Amino acid sequence: MSSQTDGRPPHADGRPPGAAEPILQFTDVHTYYGPLHVLKGVSYEIREGEIVSLLGGNASGKSTTMKTVLGLVRPAQGTVTFRGETIHTLRTSEIVRRGIAPVPEARRVFPRMSVIENLEMGRYTRRGEPGWEAELDRVFGLFPVLKERRSQLAGTMSGGEQQMLAIGRALMANPTLLCMDEPSMGLSPGYVEQVFDIIKAINQQGTTVFVVEQNVNMALSIANRGYVLQMGEVVLAGTAKELLENPLIQKAYLGSA
Amino acid sequence: MSVFDVFLQQLVNGIALGMMYALLALGFTMVYGIIELINFAHFSVFMTGTFFGLLLLNALGYTGSSGALTGLALVGTLLLVFVVTMVATGCLGVVIERVCLRPVRGVSGTAPMITTIGVAFILINTILLTLGPQTKPFPKIIPDRRWLIGQAEISLSQVLLVVVGLVLMMGLNYLVRHTALGKAMRATAQDMDAAKMMGVDVDRVIILTFFLGSALAGAGSLFFGFYYGFTAFYIGYQTGLRAFTSAVLGGIGNIPGAVVGGLLIGLIQSLGGQLLEVKWTDVIIFSILIIVLVFRPAGLFGVQTPQKA
Amino acid sequence: MDTETSWAATSPALARWRAIPLGRRRQLLSVVLLALALAFPFTGVNPSHVDAAANAYTYVLLALGLNIVVGFAGLLDLGYAAFFAIGAYTYGAAASFQLKPAWSEAWAPLVWLGQVSRVPVDGQPDIVQLHFSFWFMLLVGALICAVFGVLFGAPTLRLRGDYLAIVTLGFGEIVPVLALNLEGLTNGAMGLPGVRTPRLFGFDFGFSPLPYYFLGLGLVALAVVVSLRLQESRVGRAWMAIREDELAAGAMGVSHVHYKLLAFAMGAAVGGLAGVFYVAKLTTATPDMFRFPVSVMILVMVVLGGMGSVRGVVIAALVLSFLQSTILQELTGYVNALGRQIGSGWLAKLQLINSLELIFGVILVLMMLFRREGLFPSVRRVSALTREQQAALPSRGTTVTLSWADPKPAGASPRPLLEIEGLTKRFGGVAAADSIDLTVRAGEILSVIGPNGSGKTTLFNLITGLAPRDAGVIRLEGEVISGLRAHEIVQRGVARTFQNIRLFNNLSVLENMLVGEHTRLRAGPLGAIFRPPRVREEERRAVESALEVLDLFGNRLIPRLDHPVYGLSYANRRRTEIARAIMTRPKLLLLDEPAAGMNPAETLELMDLVKALRTLGITIVLIEHKLDVVMDVSDRVVVLDHGVKIAEGKPVQVRNDEKVIEAYLGRRRRAA
Repeated sequence: MSSQTDGRPPHADGRPPGAAEPILQFTDVHTYYGPLHVLKGVSYEIREGEIVSLLGGNASGKSTTMKTVLGLVRPAQGTVTFRGETIHTLRTSEIVRRGIAPVPEARRVFPRMSVIENLEMGRYTRRGEPGWEAELDRVFGLFPVLKERRSQLAGTMSGGEQQMLAIGRALMANPTLLCMDEPSMGLSPGYVEQVFDIIKAINQQGTTVFVVEQNVNMALSIANRGYVLQMGEVVLAGTAKELLENPLIQKAYLGSA
Repeated sequence: MSVFDVFLQQLVNGIALGMMYALLALGFTMVYGIIELINFAHFSVFMTGTFFGLLLLNALGYTGSSGALTGLALVGTLLLVFVVTMVATGCLGVVIERVCLRPVRGVSGTAPMITTIGVAFILINTILLTLGPQTKPFPKIIPDRRWLIGQAEISLSQVLLVVVGLVLMMGLNYLVRHTALGKAMRATAQDMDAAKMMGVDVDRVIILTFFLGSALAGAGSLFFGFYYGFTAFYIGYQTGLRAFTSAVLGGIGNIPGAVVGGLLIGLIQSLGGQLLEVKWTDVIIFSILIIVLVFRPAGLFGVQTPQKA
Repeated sequence: MDTETSWAATSPALARWRAIPLGRRRQLLSVVLLALALAFPFTGVNPSHVDAAANAYTYVLLALGLNIVVGFAGLLDLGYAAFFAIGAYTYGAAASFQLKPAWSEAWAPLVWLGQVSRVPVDGQPDIVQLHFSFWFMLLVGALICAVFGVLFGAPTLRLRGDYLAIVTLGFGEIVPVLALNLEGLTNGAMGLPGVRTPRLFGFDFGFSPLPYYFLGLGLVALAVVVSLRLQESRVGRAWMAIREDELAAGAMGVSHVHYKLLAFAMGAAVGGLAGVFYVAKLTTATPDMFRFPVSVMILVMVVLGGMGSVRGVVIAALVLSFLQSTILQELTGYVNALGRQIGSGWLAKLQLINSLELIFGVILVLMMLFRREGLFPSVRRVSALTREQQAALPSRGTTVTLSWADPKPAGASPRPLLEIEGLTKRFGGVAAADSIDLTVRAGEILSVIGPNGSGKTTLFNLITGLAPRDAGVIRLEGEVISGLRAHEIVQRGVARTFQNIRLFNNLSVLENMLVGEHTRLRAGPLGAIFRPPRVREEERRAVESALEVLDLFGNRLIPRLDHPVYGLSYANRRRTEIARAIMTRPKLLLLDEPAAGMNPAETLELMDLVKALRTLGITIVLIEHKLDVVMDVSDRVVVLDHGVKIAEGKPVQVRNDEKVIEAYLGRRRRAA
């Protein structure tokens, strides 16, 4: 496990995106909810050290993508690989153990557990391993508010603080890949800025980030690359810069009729 | 006996009884807390536990007419009987979950609860058909020592029940509060999907919850046997419903609440039986059940769960 | 299905039978079954079997009663035997030697009516002997049970389904304990002494099973007719709507309080009938006849037959009753004989009847694991789409009219239809609506936009009364509607759809539509049962009205009228939900992301419909994420962000508003 951290590039910044190897790869993934065809053959590639944004309107398949990564939804067709290993057949606990940590939609902190217990849950798959103190210091460094409130029940914290906790919880496992589902949802603009600054900082510390967002400008401002989903299909892909400059992006993201 | 002594006597009886209800209520509350299922099969696991204990004691050579044990023999036998019975009922709980309840987990509506009623009927009638309808005497291996507190007397078996009960509850508390498994259980209870995303193997946590809850019911069934000195196929239902009321009283899903609720129901039964005729006990207890559910569904100590907003 | 078709192909008789319309087939079958049942006692069967059949009818009655509560309304009642007990003791006490009130002149009219007698007692004051008429008490027993049904049901209304089950179980336990302890009324465990047998025109039913057989059959026939008629009525649809989705039912104007209590009352009344009948037949009653296992047995019958399936419940109740009374006994004879033959002492002594409850348990578990809909689920007449219908190109409604709509030229009267002032709602410190002021003018299409979590759906929930507001006032046509309950607000003309479609999944398209018509219809339980011309007429008109609304969607939904909605495509489910909302004849229609999940062509079609509705005089408030759709269709746009209205105006104005762009797409980052 320690080799994982050692082998990771210290800073992915400035590195040309093509140079790093893909760590997460979706190949022609189809997903269904009952009769509903949600993902219609999507392919993504997340490379080590990147921040990749997944954009799209409601019901476009963004959240389903996240659930598919985490094994909460099984693809009917296609493959999902993580560091070359097929993961879409694995149980969620196995996937998480391999170094993918989720920051779920709507935060989903454990409301009747304290901050510190929530953080312990983030390290559940690596419990008993050394390094707890170091990770805790790192998280507390990123989120001083969590240190102040370490024994407060998570359910009594504000939405913004809960979001910090949700991110901190995911970091406790020292993941290779952080999967974030709409981290800005329901947060006031001040918190949104803070959250994105932190995502950037986390990435600079060496964690690859895959983030689903509706806050297009904010998401693309920190991302290396992005994909735009519409009706379960990737309609646009490119570097953040290209996407930001693409006149279609606003229309596409907001759902063209 | 003065009024105070009568009160004291019933207090002692009530606490001993309450320990049994509390052990049983814990199983309800843990399962409900984690998968929001009211598990009627728990009644009959408890009842089956009394027979596990009885058969084991018989196998060890103790029968209804055997004399009491003392010293090391007593401690050793009790330890063995408790461990074996608890493991046996725990495994029974696991089998029930695995075979009957997991397939209906997540089915909305009444199906899971109806399944547990079916399981309860199967267990009760299996015991009835294999071991017969007769009341069976439970070996009295605990010596009949009594001490006086004022005019009230307290028996060795009551002391033992309270001590064993406290030890088990402290063990459970430690497990739930301070071990990784306990934290996984609480996390699963609070948000199953989020727990899954943290890498918790939710199926395993649920199985273990059933094991623990059923094992505690197994301890409760030995309490019943040693306290009342008999068992029969029908004992699960009434005792189980009282224990269930305890869980509701303490706020179903709330572990410390179940213990307090159990003690309260024990006291209500013993003191209520003193004040009113015993035949009204069930009316009182079921009225409490209904009134609490209707007016304070979160239980006496229930706090509103903080919004997840 | 395959095997049936192949039979039909090989057997001309069966083919001819299947050609008869289903309704007619059912009538014919019912007549044949009734004739067989009437003839049964005269086929030379053992009188004990006639007796067993009469007892079986008691259980059929009970199962039918529980089916109303559990099957139709979806309320799990685990103490149903309580009503059986109450019915039994009602008649038992009123027609036995148990109560011996002292004589007073007040009893005189009842003596004259022949319902009580004055009995002299040596050396003591005279007493009264009660012998109320069985027929009269049948009615009284049912009524008393209905009252208890409401009493037991009322506290449970706010509870979740599993808590409700426990409360009913509690009542189910208390009643037999009371029966045991209130010895003055019930004679406790000894049982009621000498309950009088029914009399009809001087004929005493006595102890022969035959009259009870026919009486039981009559009661069962009555309960079957009542159940079937209720099921296909406004009342039955309301129950099933609550069962499927209580919130959506409320949004269609179904008062869950009213209909849940009605279900409890009617279920209890049938249980009461069974109780009166059973105690008259048995001439005694003991508390043990009404305990938990009896409640479970009735539940097993309903579960085995299929919750909500009248046919299934009757079959299952008959089979299980005979299993108990006859089949297991006879099997035991064979098994014992076999045991003696092969020298197995265990088999020779085995009493299979003892395993009855084991069988019940096994049935419950197996049914829940493998066949939750029961062995004989409700039949659904689904006509498969013809080849032409499948191949037909989608057509739009040609004539967009609704007979009840009141078209007004749009914008002619800018009177406000809906006025919202200072509307506020907080969820744990987060404001989902923060003193919103909003006016919706009659005849306009107003869009509400904003990022996820900005409070759009909350606004709809507050307007429709599905969520309580913390502050503020909402007026519809000048009349305050805030504070009213959801079904009252629908009645005043506000209908809605839901972001995550909330249809009644196991009901057909037409049934969903008819639930939408709920508030327009009058039929209560009596109307549903007796179906007077008035009720037939309103049902006919309701179906017409539904067809008229469905016509707005061209050939999308009409060919699928009798299909259960769970099988529809996503777009068709959206359409059904919109159609259902239109059925309530709203003045104001709130659409929550109606185009989500629709492709561009479907979206376009939908927006044309929205415009058409406006010309019919229906004012529309639309939540939508597809901004170009919004810009095209709306007269005005309101933008929410964090529960605050941040902009309002014509689409062009809003589109270029800096604040809106920022809220929607996120702030451009500070120069990084």
